[in-house]
Amino acid sequence: MDRVFSDKKAIFIFMLPGILFFLAIIAAPVIMSAYYSTQNWDGIGRSVFTGLENFKKLFVHNVDGFPLSVRNSFIFLAVSVFIQLPISLFFALLLARGVKGEGFFRGAYFVPVIISTVVIGQLWMKIYHPEYGLLNVVLNNMGLGGLTQKWLGDPKTALFSSFVPILWQYVGYHMLLMYAAIKSVSPDIYEAAKIDGSGELSTTFRITLPLISPMLKVSVTFSAVGSLKVFDLIYVLTNGGPAGTTEVPSTLMVKTIFMSNQYGYGSAMAVFIIAECLLFTALINKLFGKIQVN
Amino acid sequence: MKSLKSQKTPLDYIAKSVIYLILGLWTIASLFPIYWLVCFSLKDNSEIFGGNVAGLPNHFLWKNYATAFMNGKVGTYLLNSTFVTGMTIIFTTIVATMSAYALIRMKWKFQKVSMSIMLLGMMIPIHSALLPIFLMMRTVGAIKNTVWSLIIPYTAFAIPMAIMIITGFLDTIPRELEEAACIDGCSIYRTFLTVILPLLRPAVATVAIFTFLQAWNELMFAVVFISEDSAKTLTVGIQSMSGQYQTSWGPIGAALVVATLPTLLIYLLLNKQVQKSLVAGAVKG
Amino acid sequence: MSKIAKRIPGLILAAAMLLSIAACGGSAASSDNSTVSDSKAGSSEALVQKESVTLSLWHIWAADSESSKAPFEKVLADFQTANPDIKLKVDATENETYKTKIRAAVAANEAPDIFFYWSGGYMKSFVDAGKLLPLNDYLDDETRSRQLTGTLSNMTFDGKIYGLAHSMSVGTFFINKELFAQNNVKIPETYEDLTAAVKAFRGKGITPMAVGAKDTWCIDMYLDILETRQAGYDACYKALTKTGSFEEPDIIEGARKLQELIDMGAFTDGAQGVTRDESEVPFYEGKIPMYFNGSWTIGNIMRPDSKIKDKIQIIKFPKLSDKSDINDFTGGVSEIFVVNANTKFKDESVKAIKYISENFAKEVYLAGAGLPTWKVSVDESKIDPLTKELVKLTQDSKTYTLWWNTLLEGDDSQLYMNKSAELFAKRITPEQFVKDLQTMNTKK
Repeated sequence: MDRVFSDKKAIFIFMLPGILFFLAIIAAPVIMSAYYSTQNWDGIGRSVFTGLENFKKLFVHNVDGFPLSVRNSFIFLAVSVFIQLPISLFFALLLARGVKGEGFFRGAYFVPVIISTVVIGQLWMKIYHPEYGLLNVVLNNMGLGGLTQKWLGDPKTALFSSFVPILWQYVGYHMLLMYAAIKSVSPDIYEAAKIDGSGELSTTFRITLPLISPMLKVSVTFSAVGSLKVFDLIYVLTNGGPAGTTEVPSTLMVKTIFMSNQYGYGSAMAVFIIAECLLFTALINKLFGKIQVN
Repeated sequence: MKSLKSQKTPLDYIAKSVIYLILGLWTIASLFPIYWLVCFSLKDNSEIFGGNVAGLPNHFLWKNYATAFMNGKVGTYLLNSTFVTGMTIIFTTIVATMSAYALIRMKWKFQKVSMSIMLLGMMIPIHSALLPIFLMMRTVGAIKNTVWSLIIPYTAFAIPMAIMIITGFLDTIPRELEEAACIDGCSIYRTFLTVILPLLRPAVATVAIFTFLQAWNELMFAVVFISEDSAKTLTVGIQSMSGQYQTSWGPIGAALVVATLPTLLIYLLLNKQVQKSLVAGAVKG
Repeated sequence: MSKIAKRIPGLILAAAMLLSIAACGGSAASSDNSTVSDSKAGSSEALVQKESVTLSLWHIWAADSESSKAPFEKVLADFQTANPDIKLKVDATENETYKTKIRAAVAANEAPDIFFYWSGGYMKSFVDAGKLLPLNDYLDDETRSRQLTGTLSNMTFDGKIYGLAHSMSVGTFFINKELFAQNNVKIPETYEDLTAAVKAFRGKGITPMAVGAKDTWCIDMYLDILETRQAGYDACYKALTKTGSFEEPDIIEGARKLQELIDMGAFTDGAQGVTRDESEVPFYEGKIPMYFNGSWTIGNIMRPDSKIKDKIQIIKFPKLSDKSDINDFTGGVSEIFVVNANTKFKDESVKAIKYISENFAKEVYLAGAGLPTWKVSVDESKIDPLTKELVKLTQDSKTYTLWWNTLLEGDDSQLYMNKSAELFAKRITPEQFVKDLQTMNTKK
């Protein structure tokens, strides 16, 4: 039996297409980016080797606001993990408990995930518009005119205003993952807990959550990696503005590479983002490893 | 789990109403984009920008749809998008199921490491790969400027996520089935094809929907890699409706509706399977 | 780029220039036979049956709403009729994505034979890398003389001409005279008039000026003209070409005036969250009295369904100090066509861009989408009144300063846009603003 499952030729055949795709389209560009990151290159002309100069430029005497963009992505990560995921979890728990129309709600909540970024971006720009935007209009009609803001137009509110749509869009996604996990827990376990006289809340915290912690790990990882390389909606909503206050590493990278013709320097940003993602994934693994041991 | 139905006190009723209120509000928030998009597609610029942002259109401008389609290429674009997305899903599924099977079911030395490395693909900021991939693609003359130059990178970037979903699901399928097949003298390939693949249906549905979203909506690669009208995709077509100094947004809204419909349909179609696969593969993640 | 790397191509260019000057001396006669003189009698001297060639051409007028699209397609069709032996394979891409697309294509040596681009510092990296074909040898005196003087300067580097323009755009101050009359406000001739007008309109709850500041270049429209009117052409030009400094009191003052206008509430509310498209809608609805933007805006104002067609007037932006001249304008030639240095068909490509730019100049002018850079003869009665007004207004023009974000090279241009956005958001002071800009002149 083992012989069949450790057949080298079969393993090779099964893995070959995946490896080819990986090497050609994923590994090669990463290696090329790593190489470019050591060059002073505009993407077109001659390149000059500058060692780690580009990486130094990211943080030392930086002029383009890269540190701010990294800070923004960290804030976004924190908001995603500590606000978005709990909301998702709340809905997942609620739906998994069995409410009427469970399937309908589940389906509906996933809809924002499948609507394209362009549409979501246009919609939220209409919600946030300082003069006729839905948000300000509603606030005014409720007599809360004092709370109206310029939202995306004001450096003070722009960052959080641009996060909200992304958080909203993916609540359904994480909810679905968690809901699936909760549903796959055997009902017997709940019955047993109930017989033991465990209340609903304590069942949730003492039984459900630990049991679905592998999926929570997946959610947290997706969420973290997604936040660190977030691009689409920020690009559509603010494109880093006003005055660079909502810049995140990916938007800055795209500008650096394609608008200010600093391909080498932009590649250093790319390498930084990849390293960051790896680091956080490892960290999350460690953290959940500890929780699971306890 | 059926505790809601057991004993009913007034407090329970209140709690229940609150719960349904919350669920209802979030439903509205989730479905609003569809309503808004359809309205948007039937308005003109002055309604879209300020006159009437969220209401039903004052005049239903059906001609926006005509305008969007007048550009006779929309049919071609739609066809290309369908082909590109379809092929990407097929390739992703084939490659990812094969890899996932070897990674999780077979026994070899660098299994764990290989798995981690494959998942690395999820961490790459896709825009930084644009130029390197473009530089490589041009050396392969046959696929240059064809839909294949999109299908290949789309597939590559969809594979990591697909492997993750499929391995998670595979882990929940008991080994006994394969072992039985093995004893019956089935080769490993036959076992994979006749025993495992049919079981993977829910996981494949999940992969299909995520891959669909990715490939169907992608813009940057599609813009840069394709300069041939006959090979352009729908997102590029929609993008080209906005001008440098002036744009009419109504027809763009109409085109967006046309582009969104297939997504919704696919989702409705695969929703159940997705559910199944996630529930089954959940605990392992 | 390091100094050495810059110097080497410089030397090569200098050497090449000597050669090309020598070549030019003899070319006037010889090129008349070899390169076909374009608009005359088509391919009159095609003695030998030429095989037809296919040229690829990329441009940015993809959207039907674009006022340049129809005229451009007409020119292409005319070219095909006049030159059956040259086939054009045309591809149009939306403006923003085009920038990425063409850069990737040029980097990979996959660029088309002919393509649309922007002049000034914007095209410099292509020129430095030798990706564009110098046109000196192909432009005889007669062709040059058919273009307006100074047209070629924005695409000339080290004496070599790298592109041909069709039209130019001017930073234009649009006034809704109906709104001014209704509210009894004086149309501004001085800065005091302007601030008075801003305050008067704001007092009546009318947004005085439109700006879609989320698209940073729209802020730059205002900033460019404020600096030109405050510090004058010379000071600006010197600072921008690294022969002067940004840290001049007048350049600080120009930046300060922008913030002063912002403080007075001159601009669209929450402007930095608003795109140009959104910001312009109230202007086209006749709800905003003043707007400073490119002359291409005329195309939209004069649309058949426009609500402000008869209400708009064009004026010169008021003078802010004695150092400036009311006849210094912003804008100029920025949209051009260039030829790929690696094209297999150099003669045909040059012939095509000559034909296209000269004829497009005429069509663009007729469509009200720009002022021609060629001496064209058109039926003046077909020109719309606003374009006529613009022609009259710019008749005494002394200088044009190209949009700063186009004039400057890639990373400098990005720096300018970032800093002007920060200035607009009042995150930096005018003093800090010029100090930051000056880093582009002091860096290695």
